[in-house]
Amino acid sequence: MTFLGYERPDGSYGTRNYVLILPSGIIADQICNLVVGTKTMVTPMDATSGRTKDDRETITRVYAGLGQNPNVASVLLVPGGGAGGTQYPETSTERLMDEISRSGKEVEVLKNNIGDTMETIARDVKLAREMVYEASKLRRKPCPDSHLCIGVKCGNSDPTSGIAGNPVVGHVYDKLVEAGGTALFGETTEIIGAEHILAKRAVNKAVAQEILSVAHETEERAKATGQDIRTMNPVPANIKAGITTLEEKSLGAIHKAGTKPIQSVLKYAERPKGPGLHFVDNWAWTLSIFMGYAAAGAQIVLYQLGGGGLEGDAVFYQTGSTVAPLIWCSANPRTRASGGWNLDFYSGTIIEGKETIADVGERLYSTLLDTASGTMTRTETLKYTDPNEVYTRGPVF
Amino acid sequence: MKKALIISPVDNVATALEDIVAGDLVEARLGKKVETLEAGENISFGFKIALSDIPKGGNVLKYGEVIGKASAPINKGSLVHVHNVEGARGRGDLAKGDAKP
Repeated sequence: MTFLGYERPDGSYGTRNYVLILPSGIIADQICNLVVGTKTMVTPMDATSGRTKDDRETITRVYAGLGQNPNVASVLLVPGGGAGGTQYPETSTERLMDEISRSGKEVEVLKNNIGDTMETIARDVKLAREMVYEASKLRRKPCPDSHLCIGVKCGNSDPTSGIAGNPVVGHVYDKLVEAGGTALFGETTEIIGAEHILAKRAVNKAVAQEILSVAHETEERAKATGQDIRTMNPVPANIKAGITTLEEKSLGAIHKAGTKPIQSVLKYAERPKGPGLHFVDNWAWTLSIFMGYAAAGAQIVLYQLGGGGLEGDAVFYQTGSTVAPLIWCSANPRTRASGGWNLDFYSGTIIEGKETIADVGERLYSTLLDTASGTMTRTETLKYTDPNEVYTRGPVF
Repeated sequence: MKKALIISPVDNVATALEDIVAGDLVEARLGKKVETLEAGENISFGFKIALSDIPKGGNVLKYGEVIGKASAPINKGSLVHVHNVEGARGRGDLAKGDAKP
């Protein structure tokens, strides 16, 4: 099957055509306010102060990865702004320029940086307008679905997630992997109690051991707090909706990964070395995980929402999408009723006994390809994006 | 008759597919096999009903796997949730030692 994408110099295909402004801060914010077709990360401005080298590398991986994402046509770097202000070598403009340029795309830096913020904004806005104009000359063209890379999070899980919502995503994952595409899943805390099942699906013994290791390491960190993990995860909203233990949540959660072999275990925001299904050792939080997948190369992310524990309609829940559009799905009839039009896809017909998982999975795959070809997701119709947070491990000093 | 879903043949709980009221007859379905039981108490949509008596300390099984242990005896037809089930994993609150399942 095919979708209509924007061909990039490295042979990848974008589902969107943004000019990315990095890092976030007042300059990026003002450019994004004034110039259509621009995006920034929307993160706290100075993310690197007093962090370990490992965490600074993670932050850099996110910056560079978002720049390399196929949905980005070109990148405008703002020297000295945001994280660059700390002068750590990892986040230097030169390094970002070098890493993003490897994807063959245009990276611009304002020459002769004036030093006056307002004057810099004016000059950067002018440059960004020219870049957006150039990017708009590119036309979508048909390309195979094997060029797609997607990520998924199951949010606000409830018992409909494990029995319908996640299995539907699993169907899409299997189909994309069979087509030669790339599929990412993660949320390490939420494989505890189900890691033995995933380990059996690893492509080799080393990957199986890595899956068990990251789950074990996460469980040990939880135990080191001296608290029952149930005071942290499942979250009260999961419990309110009927999920009893972390094991139950995990056993439902892994259905979103389908049934294909797991090729590797990746760090947060790490780019997979090949196609297929990959496990990402990441943090489940909405405003961290989607940005991580986008930095790893995902052109679309799926947000499989239970929603049984939500108190408002779904639009009040965090979105966190960066350069990869977010498809909201739910199998909970009550989430559909409260979320209404905000929901991109409904899979609760399985619970209502009207459709099978495979039927609904095929429909979601069509929605995926439509979205890849340019149909907006419901959250894309808003300019609002919640501030994202890079998954750093600390400690901070 | 109210509906509930059994995911694996070894499971001893089913998931309510609609709100169940104490005294309701419940049809718990696993593929084509149907098991009928009476609800001992109210069980909301998405929550779990015990398919058999589970002794204190007994395994609670869903998805064909252990999701926790009964912290109190659970009668067939009762609500199975945090008041009578404990997780075994990530238990930093328990005495130090190897808490692997």
